[in-house]
Amino acid sequence: MVTIEQSTEQINQAVAALQERLGEKVRAIEQPTPHRLYVTIDPDVVVQAADILFNDLRARYLISAGMDKRPLNGGFEVLHFFAFDRANVRCALVIPLSGDPPRIPSITPTVPAAGWAEREFRDLFGIIPEGHPDPRPLALPDGFPEGLYPLRKDFPYDYKPPLDHSKTFPFKEPPEGTTVVTVGPFFPVLEEPSQWRIFVDGEIVVGWDYRGFYNHRAIEKLGDSVLTYNQVVFLAERICGICGCVHSTSYCQAVEEAAGIEVPLRAKVIRTLILELERIHSHLLWLGLACHILGFDYAFMQSWRIREPVMWLAEYLTGSRKHFSINLVGGVRRDIKKEQHQRTLEVVGKIERETKELADTLLNDMPLIARLRGTGIFTPEEVRLTGAVGPTARGSGIAIDVRKDHPYAAYDLVEFDVVTQDGCDNLARTLVRVYEIFESVKIVRQCIKMLQELPEGDLMAELPEEIPPYRHGMHAVEAPRGEVFHYVFTGENNRPYRWRVRAPSYQNIQAVPVMFKPGTTIADVPITLGSVDPCFSCTERMEVIDIRSGETKVLTEQELYRLSREKTAELRKQLEGGA
Amino acid sequence: MVDSKFKQLLLALRAGKVTFAYPFEPRPSEPGFRGRVVVDTDKCTGCGGCADVCPTRCIRIVDVSPTYRIIRRYLERCIHCGRCEDVCRYGAVWLDLEYEIATTSKSDLFIEQHLFMGSCSRCGRCYVPPNPLDRLMVVGFRKDEEV
Repeated sequence: MVTIEQSTEQINQAVAALQERLGEKVRAIEQPTPHRLYVTIDPDVVVQAADILFNDLRARYLISAGMDKRPLNGGFEVLHFFAFDRANVRCALVIPLSGDPPRIPSITPTVPAAGWAEREFRDLFGIIPEGHPDPRPLALPDGFPEGLYPLRKDFPYDYKPPLDHSKTFPFKEPPEGTTVVTVGPFFPVLEEPSQWRIFVDGEIVVGWDYRGFYNHRAIEKLGDSVLTYNQVVFLAERICGICGCVHSTSYCQAVEEAAGIEVPLRAKVIRTLILELERIHSHLLWLGLACHILGFDYAFMQSWRIREPVMWLAEYLTGSRKHFSINLVGGVRRDIKKEQHQRTLEVVGKIERETKELADTLLNDMPLIARLRGTGIFTPEEVRLTGAVGPTARGSGIAIDVRKDHPYAAYDLVEFDVVTQDGCDNLARTLVRVYEIFESVKIVRQCIKMLQELPEGDLMAELPEEIPPYRHGMHAVEAPRGEVFHYVFTGENNRPYRWRVRAPSYQNIQAVPVMFKPGTTIADVPITLGSVDPCFSCTERMEVIDIRSGETKVLTEQELYRLSREKTAELRKQLEGGA
Repeated sequence: MVDSKFKQLLLALRAGKVTFAYPFEPRPSEPGFRGRVVVDTDKCTGCGGCADVCPTRCIRIVDVSPTYRIIRRYLERCIHCGRCEDVCRYGAVWLDLEYEIATTSKSDLFIEQHLFMGSCSRCGRCYVPPNPLDRLMVVGFRKDEEV
């Protein structure tokens, strides 16, 4: 347990370091709670400040957010968020900007994890990160008119500008003599389109390029221009189809922090319980899909069979098998009653037993282990530089877990272990997820025990007449895939002024290229991509362009799977031959 | 390795058949399920509370005149969050257990409701008359022709 004294010390240290090195350039320091720090600095020292926090004090980079504050004070603002995980402190560098277009020195050369976030605020706000190593567009579609920035306040939420279809995305030039393997971007069956161009020499991966955001739906824009606080909850839940509850919980907690609302304990325990059920189902789903990619459909079928009762349980407890809609700002909407406790315990008990049996057989399956071990190496230093979170980081031995480091909901009242593995490879990330299922079962049991002791009915906090405008709130939740971070700047008209969402895959997908170490083959690409748990849609269709002959070949999902599976079969033969 | 294959076989055999014959056998949902949206137009007073909280804005309100209000529910946009049920003070809308609501016609998912309202003498806007006697006085209440 982290105590307040420690976090105060960490804050003091950060403040002292920033003030000493930057002097007058630090304009204001705000500390609304012992766990939050907002430091307003001049734009010209932002790189220095980021360097102090990220490299000297070893803070973890979270995300950056742009803000259009022209209606309030005539300028723009950029916020860079950092977390001190051991001390339960989150820190924001607030940088007010003037001029149009506003300019800010890029922190990406110092903090590589900021690459996408800076490109995103350039696209959506027109805030130019000067000196960014990769100044290509990120979020906007190809051919979006110049000088239009959708998240600015003067851009109507329902305006659809005409696109210039003659413009195409400036992809990276592949190295001389390599072949480009294009995975994506459009998939008729699965969701989440994205395009991965993998440069291969023969079968060996030598480089890559990524183009995503094909499905950018301007959810943040809707949140700060159309919906009200309690409507955003349901939109937030639909950001992800697998881990929706983490987004709504994180958003609610951010608003509650900004408004100073204290959620009743029973509501906190219910949130914890539902979040853990979500983790169990998500990890089992992932385990099945990972095995499916490796051509091991037995495990795919079995882990999804084990998973199904969790979905039924969720439906029984919340009324819907996936979009639980259980959160509201200030608490939860539904109680988990006494008569529901027994069934919850039975279901998680059965899942624990069956997962144990399945894991036991899988981890003794030599070809499966041989495919996972030693591929997709991701070192601890790379984790820090890319800002990777969740099982992706914990598979490299880095014990970061929001549930332990920045306790929210009722996680400070339950006992559990943060699962880490030192393998740094795909096997380690698999093991982390498998063992986390057992930790989740432990937490669910403790939650039920607490619910039995707490009085029924106290689910919603008394809400203030109006959520006070122009206050910061930031909160994170440990999703199955990693840390989900939400930042809310409250506004008038009963809606946020700015709402920033960072899903774990935002950082984890940026980390995938560093996992393609020299010697990685195309057959290892699907499972390495898969090991960070993005959506697997990327493997639906792929195109091979042979630069030497100029020939184009389109491979389907089946053919990509076939490559991956043939490698498994080959390995199995080798192993059997050797034994 | 042979050992683990044997275990896998046992695990699969023990699980047995887990699929259901649905749709050839009924699979009723359990109490608490958020299914089809049902509106009891007799109980609805037209206060518009549901439209105010609906996250997808599938409930739209049009005031044709100060005494005449139309509520349209475009339920193809409904995400079944159940907020309308939460806020309805009159118990006029709820989500029942029915989930087989897929349809080829959008009009199956459309509910239009015409209400005669009281008119505020100060601001002129529609309001819900506070008691049954006042509701009897509402313009159009006893008329039988189409407005």
